[in-house]
Amino acid sequence: MVNPGKRMNLLKTLFNLRHGPGAAILPPEISRLHMDFALRWNDGHMGPRKFWKTCLPRLKFWNPAIPMIINRSPDNSGPATLSIYFRKAAAAAATPTSAKVHMTPLAQQAHSSSTNECPAPPPEEGERVVTIEMKHQHSEAILEEFLLKTGAQVLRPTPDEENEMRQAEDLRDRAAIDRSIMKKYIDDKRAEEKMLARAREEADAIRAANSD
Amino acid sequence: MASTSQFLASLARLSLSPASRPAAASTIPRFLAPSATTQIRCAGGGTAQMQARAREKEKLKKKKRQQRFKEYKYAVPTGKGEQFSLCDAMRYIRAAEVGRPPSSVTYEVALKVRTIKNGPVIRNRIRFPHPVKNDTRIAVICPEGSNAMHDARTGGAVAFGEQSLFEIIKANPNNLPFNRLICHTDSVQALNKAGLGRVLGPKGLMPSLKTNTITKSVKTMMQEMVGAETYREKIGVIRIPIGNIQYSPRQLSDNVKTFIESIKADIARMEDRVDKDIIEVVLSSTNGPGFTLNGGFLPTDEKLDPAYLATAM
Repeated sequence: MVNPGKRMNLLKTLFNLRHGPGAAILPPEISRLHMDFALRWNDGHMGPRKFWKTCLPRLKFWNPAIPMIINRSPDNSGPATLSIYFRKAAAAAATPTSAKVHMTPLAQQAHSSSTNECPAPPPEEGERVVTIEMKHQHSEAILEEFLLKTGAQVLRPTPDEENEMRQAEDLRDRAAIDRSIMKKYIDDKRAEEKMLARAREEADAIRAANSD
Repeated sequence: MASTSQFLASLARLSLSPASRPAAASTIPRFLAPSATTQIRCAGGGTAQMQARAREKEKLKKKKRQQRFKEYKYAVPTGKGEQFSLCDAMRYIRAAEVGRPPSSVTYEVALKVRTIKNGPVIRNRIRFPHPVKNDTRIAVICPEGSNAMHDARTGGAVAFGEQSLFEIIKANPNNLPFNRLICHTDSVQALNKAGLGRVLGPKGLMPSLKTNTITKSVKTMMQEMVGAETYREKIGVIRIPIGNIQYSPRQLSDNVKTFIESIKADIARMEDRVDKDIIEVVLSSTNGPGFTLNGGFLPTDEKLDPAYLATAM
């Protein structure tokens, strides 16, 4: 982050982290999410992978307290499931989301893994699990099913934010125009230089021929 | 495009009769009028003394010009929405890093420093209150059978000794069993004689006073080295991993504070030679975007409890 021009792009990145597919607030009954799919995309594992890359960051931004664990395994023939853990509504109201998670030290908690270390844990007492089969599904279809099964509240950007975003977009368009103008100018200059150099060469050749 | 004022001006010149200039030569006393000698100096002549003085002046000017050193470019973050509190930055970063194995992701800090290009650089070691990782393997160069060797053995060094250690290094320089090397003051001569600079230098392992790796007391040096991170300024920026992605905001803020205090102490130590100051502190992560910190802690969103930012990743 050195020059102010690059800082403009930061705004866009941040906006993309907040708004877009997957920007939704989950109901308080949901205690955690777990995704299980393969490390590589063959055999229908592209959808879950895209869901992780495009939708999950936004979900995590709006629901920072909910652990979202991704367990990837090298086995492509295995299943691709998304498990949503619901706790009982009464318990949700009584305890804050993070209190329970903090009881165990970090090293012993489930964590994301790319070597199949943390498969989906069985539900705890008073929890129920809803799973989504993600294999051979498009990430948008997965998101749709996810929103339906969780009952999440989808967020839209506020008018202010939309306005800001439009300004950034305008600036980018303007930059493209400016860039093309500049390119034409440079190209013309180079062509002229090239022509001059060629003319000079020819003149030299003629002079050399005359002197002989 | 002639404006009316121009016309007016020309008209005025036409209409006004030129005032007759007073005869200056007759009224001004002789000592005020430009004399013949000054005329000659302007033309480039003058006595030898004068020329020497002029040369001296020129030299001084040149010297002054050299005192102004080039600085690295920087942009100071200004305006709203460009600086973030720690919790806000962590929220974004954690969102960007979701689903990554926590062992492969760290928070990082880039500290921008206003500094001249050819001055001394900041480099030192730091021990964080919450260490980022702990895979330090230390080797100690010390005289065989000395007290220092005993200290090294009890302190948990992976290799120690003098000639035996040099042979290990020479045998397979590309697969060394250690990643830190310290040297006892008594063994410096032996180390220089062994000619290992070519092997150790590129790896940054060569013990030297500059890197603060030659010591009299091996014991204390090893203690402060375990879990310590080294940092150095490169083209005006100091970068260092500052915490595990699973750290709570409180832990991370402790680490950031320690780091900045350490840098400030370093700058204060070299104050007589150069003046540097911290321009901005950017918190980033292995795969995430960077955020300029504003020094605040609490998130802007009141509903967000800082404890939420420490759940499993």
